[in-house]
Amino acid sequence: MTESTATVLKHAAIGGSSDRRLPSSFRDPSGFLFVRDGILYRQVNRTYQRHYDLLQDSGLYKELVSRGLLIPHEEVLLDSDSQVAYKTLKPEVVPFVSYPYEWSFSQLQDTALATLQVQKLALRFGMSLKDASAYNVQFRSGRPVLIDTLSFERYAEGAPWVAYRQFCQHFLGPLALMSCVDARLGQLLRIHVDGVPIDLASRLLSWRKYFSFSQFIHLHLHALAQRRFSAKARPTGFRRLSRAGFLGLIDNLETAVRKLRWQPQQTHWAGYYSHNNYQAVAFQEKTRIVADWLDRMVPAVQSIWDFGANTGHFSRLASQRGIFTVSIDADPWCVEMNYQQCCRQGETQLLPLLLDLSNPSAAKGWQNQERMSVLDRGPADLAFALAMVHHLAISNNLPLRKIAEFFSRCCKRLVIEFVPKTDLQVQKMLDTREDIFGDYTQQAFEHEFGQVFSLRERASIVDSGRTLYLMEKVT
Amino acid sequence: MKQRLAHAAVLITILAVCLCLFPTKAYAYLDPGAGSSILQLLIASLLGALYAAKLHWTRIKSFLAKCRGTSVPTRKKK
Repeated sequence: MTESTATVLKHAAIGGSSDRRLPSSFRDPSGFLFVRDGILYRQVNRTYQRHYDLLQDSGLYKELVSRGLLIPHEEVLLDSDSQVAYKTLKPEVVPFVSYPYEWSFSQLQDTALATLQVQKLALRFGMSLKDASAYNVQFRSGRPVLIDTLSFERYAEGAPWVAYRQFCQHFLGPLALMSCVDARLGQLLRIHVDGVPIDLASRLLSWRKYFSFSQFIHLHLHALAQRRFSAKARPTGFRRLSRAGFLGLIDNLETAVRKLRWQPQQTHWAGYYSHNNYQAVAFQEKTRIVADWLDRMVPAVQSIWDFGANTGHFSRLASQRGIFTVSIDADPWCVEMNYQQCCRQGETQLLPLLLDLSNPSAAKGWQNQERMSVLDRGPADLAFALAMVHHLAISNNLPLRKIAEFFSRCCKRLVIEFVPKTDLQVQKMLDTREDIFGDYTQQAFEHEFGQVFSLRERASIVDSGRTLYLMEKVT
Repeated sequence: MKQRLAHAAVLITILAVCLCLFPTKAYAYLDPGAGSSILQLLIASLLGALYAAKLHWTRIKSFLAKCRGTSVPTRKKK
């Protein structure tokens, strides 16, 4: 387990005893996650015994793990309450926990397809997914993997898929909205903890304008059925869902998800690298300096957060050196392009994420503890803030002191670029507004960052007036 | 486009009638998943048939071609 993962676990766990339950693990009575001595464990309760045994004995666990679709674990012996606990598992830990509202269109689509692939395999082994939460899927080595080992139950012939509604709320609805209406509607997942309500998705997607048979069935008719039967009990006994019907349902959902496409218009940020005149000369110099600093830090640095990563040029300097890198940008197009490049090149150490630094993901859910804030998931060993400070200070009116404070909370070391007012990019920003930023100077920058960081390296980028700094947090 | 809308209208009518005809008086308590479960039961036959047709599409094409007295073109080897 990496140090950063241990930190995430420390932040995620609550309680005063030596065993601390993760606050995100409470809805399912089959078991729960807990941390002991900095190691993550999953307790399997006796109530789940027959399902867990079937998962193992049927060969489903082995099949899913061999395909990289389920997180592997080892069974361990820990002193637990034997009245309640059946087994204790030690699962492999993903390097960074991310959430569906931080994923690009293709990331959400791939997690949806992975969920359906798991369900199809489960049915082949006599089991079925009892939930289809997007939060149960994480990215490991660049690909989606189911992290909830207790999501399976014995398949009861004739029963409908209990996770059908959840799948539509967490995956199909948001994907259809992002594909047909606007990719930014994926952010509805931030507001709705259990996925976008089906009636809302149906209302926002005009079926006349965006007619598709699958969407009509799974969203519009689904919303109608929910309204019609909202005050009624679940049907029992009088009709059964045949196995063929079940397979047809899963297959149709898969087709619906696979057919969705997002073809974004190229944004200002997407052309940032190629449209900036400073890039030609200074860009190579900046790349060389950052690569040089990285080479000197590699053994000590295991995790990097690259803020304002665009399509991931500097992130790849780190990930190609074997450092796990979270490549963060606020532009959906950039994140999408970054992820598609990861898929094409089979990159395993890079995780593109959609995050707006001026409004980063907050802690959410029950007691604001179910889903972690960005800061809860840190600190990273190193952060990049390249060509970032002027956007925060000038576009977002953030005082330099507050910017320094934020970075001091999310990383131990920082590579940051100061962009002076004479720079063409800053001039463009100030063209349309009054310059109220009298204290935006290199001296003020060094003073404010010097309060929380100590300077390790400093390098001027030729032909640009910009300066790169390598800093270390003051302890 | 008109044809697609016409097909959609027929489909809506059939499924809406199905939903309205479904027995509802036997239920007694709120369950937000009830609509989702009932919908699955309603659409299962259709989706199951489509899935079967997809799995056996080549055979179905050959059968239809035979009925029409034509042969299904096969891919030429390059």
